[in-house]
Amino acid sequence: MGFFEYLAGSKEQIFKLLMEHIQLTAISVGLAILIGVPLGILISYVKKLNKPILGAANVIQAIPSMALLGFAIPFLGIGTLPAVTMVILYSLLPIIKNTYTGIGNINKQTLEAARGIGLTKLQILTKIQIPLALPVIMAGVRISAVTAVGLMTIAAFIGAGGLGYLVFSGIRTVNNNQILAGAIPACILALVVDFLAGLVEKLVTPISLQTVKNSNKKALKKTRTKQKITLSIAAIMVVVIFVVTAISNYNPNKKVISIAGKDFTEQHILTHMLSDLIEDRTDISVERRTNLGGTQVCFTALKSGDIDMYIDYSGTAYGDTLDYPPISDMEEVYNTVKIDFKEKFDIDVLKQMSFNNTYTLAVTQETAQKYNLKTFSDLSKVANQLTAGTTLEFLNREDALLGLEKKYNFKFKGTKGLDGSPRYTALINKNTDVVDAFATDGLLKKFDLYVLEDDKNFFPPYYAIPLVRGETIKQYPEIVPIIEELSEILTDDVMVELNYKVDELQMEPDAVAHDFLVEQGLID
Amino acid sequence: MIKFENISKKFINNSVLTNISFNIKKGDLVAIIGASGCGKTTTLKMINRLIKPTSGKILINGEDIADKDVIELRRRMGYVIQQTGLFPHMTIRENIEMIPRVEKRNQEDIKKRTLELMEMVGLDAEEFLDRYPTELSGGQQQRVGVARAFATDPEIILMDEPFSALDPITRVGLQDQLVNLQAHLKKTIIFVTHDMDEAIKIADMICIMDGGQILQYDTPENILKNPCNEFVSEFVGKNRIWTSPEFIRAEDIMIESPVTCQGNLPLNKALEKMRTSKVDSLMVIDNPTKKLLGIIKAKQIQSQSDRTIEVNAVMDIDFLSVNPGDTIVDILKVVDENDVSGIPVLDDAGILIGLITKSSLITTLSQQYLDTEGVV
Repeated sequence: MGFFEYLAGSKEQIFKLLMEHIQLTAISVGLAILIGVPLGILISYVKKLNKPILGAANVIQAIPSMALLGFAIPFLGIGTLPAVTMVILYSLLPIIKNTYTGIGNINKQTLEAARGIGLTKLQILTKIQIPLALPVIMAGVRISAVTAVGLMTIAAFIGAGGLGYLVFSGIRTVNNNQILAGAIPACILALVVDFLAGLVEKLVTPISLQTVKNSNKKALKKTRTKQKITLSIAAIMVVVIFVVTAISNYNPNKKVISIAGKDFTEQHILTHMLSDLIEDRTDISVERRTNLGGTQVCFTALKSGDIDMYIDYSGTAYGDTLDYPPISDMEEVYNTVKIDFKEKFDIDVLKQMSFNNTYTLAVTQETAQKYNLKTFSDLSKVANQLTAGTTLEFLNREDALLGLEKKYNFKFKGTKGLDGSPRYTALINKNTDVVDAFATDGLLKKFDLYVLEDDKNFFPPYYAIPLVRGETIKQYPEIVPIIEELSEILTDDVMVELNYKVDELQMEPDAVAHDFLVEQGLID
Repeated sequence: MIKFENISKKFINNSVLTNISFNIKKGDLVAIIGASGCGKTTTLKMINRLIKPTSGKILINGEDIADKDVIELRRRMGYVIQQTGLFPHMTIRENIEMIPRVEKRNQEDIKKRTLELMEMVGLDAEEFLDRYPTELSGGQQQRVGVARAFATDPEIILMDEPFSALDPITRVGLQDQLVNLQAHLKKTIIFVTHDMDEAIKIADMICIMDGGQILQYDTPENILKNPCNEFVSEFVGKNRIWTSPEFIRAEDIMIESPVTCQGNLPLNKALEKMRTSKVDSLMVIDNPTKKLLGIIKAKQIQSQSDRTIEVNAVMDIDFLSVNPGDTIVDILKVVDENDVSGIPVLDDAGILIGLITKSSLITTLSQQYLDTEGVV
């Protein structure tokens, strides 16, 4: 599928995400100005605060944005709030610094004249200092605004939406068109923001201080009028975006639940499937938070009430969230999780699905033949010649690689921590030899990989389990039987097929989910 | 009107002003002059409280300025500094109308006043009001600075070296204009400068400072003629007086006890007196009023055959005279036009107080050259 076909097919989604992106950036930069400019003014008056404030802003700038986001989740939850907070924090430094510099660079004699003729401190600030410093302040705002557009793409990592959503899910599903559909508009948006901020910067520079000496005053005034019109149009557009979003977000139906999904294909499909089913059968409307993040992000969001439900896997809940040593007994894992979650977190674990998305290891057909590999035991004999490219999660977990190496008694020649889909790319490009895989992953089919058998039953069961907040069930008990209708239908084969449709045939997850439900006669 | 009482100022351990006291009269233009770092600008800035004295008081019309609202105080004074004092992002109009506008005065009045001010400082309102300071020459900017200082029609105007960055021709033009303005506005102006010519030209009183102290506070004339110490005379310059010859007056250069006689003196006795005193004429005065009656010259006596008659009969009673306050310029003019050798100096009552002769003029005039050689 070509890029332009993709664009044409998803133009509504791209437009919606673009609007979201503009909105989030505008809010962040706006707030950053409201915080940064007064801080800059403050430190130019109270010199003692200069070092601590600029130092703090510098340190924040040095923290990797992902780390800052991860750090913010326990305090701010997920979604818009932490994303906007992060972008504000990053935007502060240029604004504070330029405000401070702009005010500091004003000619001392000009200020003395202002004091000497009897202007009050406030009048000096508003009539002399700010107007004279404004071009420098605006230069800082310009840097912040452009950076903010780029940074905001990372916000999708914690479910804030925006163009980053396309970039992230494009990376997960190795869909270059999707990546470009997110990256190119983000890039254009950054250029537009830079251009508009540049106009503002010129407009706030007093005519007398313009660097270009324009002897023809009328021409200069005309240009300025044009610039003003351009900016007014831009400003009106931003306001319209806010109003339209506000109206479209206004939902007279108060029955809303929020269903989230983790950041890979199967979860996208499941999120849409659950949502479609609930919306079709009940009068509840569903807010779909696909691609929210990893286990930690989703579970934290569920605990805090940011979302009402998501689907996790029994082994993950047992070994990861509850921190029990791994076992392979499916029944015991499920029952323990069900009881513990209810007791500890007031989260209900519904009936588990019929597919087991357990971990497994896969190699290319070529490698399988070369070493004659069929099972994990076969692999353990030649592991010291092979490099494993796995997810970071897999590398560091006792119930994953660490335990696996003990159980089968082997050690890989090397390991590489790679994110979601790039590890398949690495495998195909022969940078790595072994990949960890989910048993239901459509990419296994897409890349024609050989799945090795876990002959000693090391991996615990990873059956899909819907997790729902207790409060939500109390409020909408009708959703429970509806969700449980899916448990018999969704088998390993079904999931591989559905995943394959998205990953290889590049169909949209929502369409795949919808078609499946219709096919099964679950919805009309 | 403005009174400094024992003002001292210390910056940490560095004493900038030491116990300064002086009075500025209403309507006077006082020039504070001295070398860099003498404390002259500090003194000026204390008047509008840009700098606080460490000790001492400044009174304006008997009221301590430290008790006044500082903003109110400053708005009642004009303040002019070197050319950077204009706000670069505002038009000339906005600069001039700054304070009247923040005080929310009547719009129409402000506009009218601005036009008056522009005319006063000799700038075309139409041409300049909507331009920015950077589009103006240094001299034009400074005129705007002066206009802004007068905007609220304050009683006191402070000027901190306002003309020092300008070229000499522009500077002289602005000085002339300031003198003219002051002649009919009669503001109290304190003017800091390091240029003695400027101070002498525009000031009613000059305050010479050095090392944080006032060395001499006096009229320009007295400073020129009677420098209180070596430093002042060095600072003023020995020959400075010649740049302002109007300060050299008849009483400064006259012979204070000219040779006189009474009207009843016989001619031969008069001739004898001239010979012994080595003069060629005698001032004939009334006794005891010392009123000058006439002048008798040796030539007149020589043309008389009867030398026993009294001086009264022969003397010149239609003589030229000058007042003690007349300047050397006036005297030279009189000498030049009438070709006389000596001119009596009479007070208003006609009483003889001295005599200026050609030789005393030559002695005075030659001083400027002799002194210069002495200095070199």
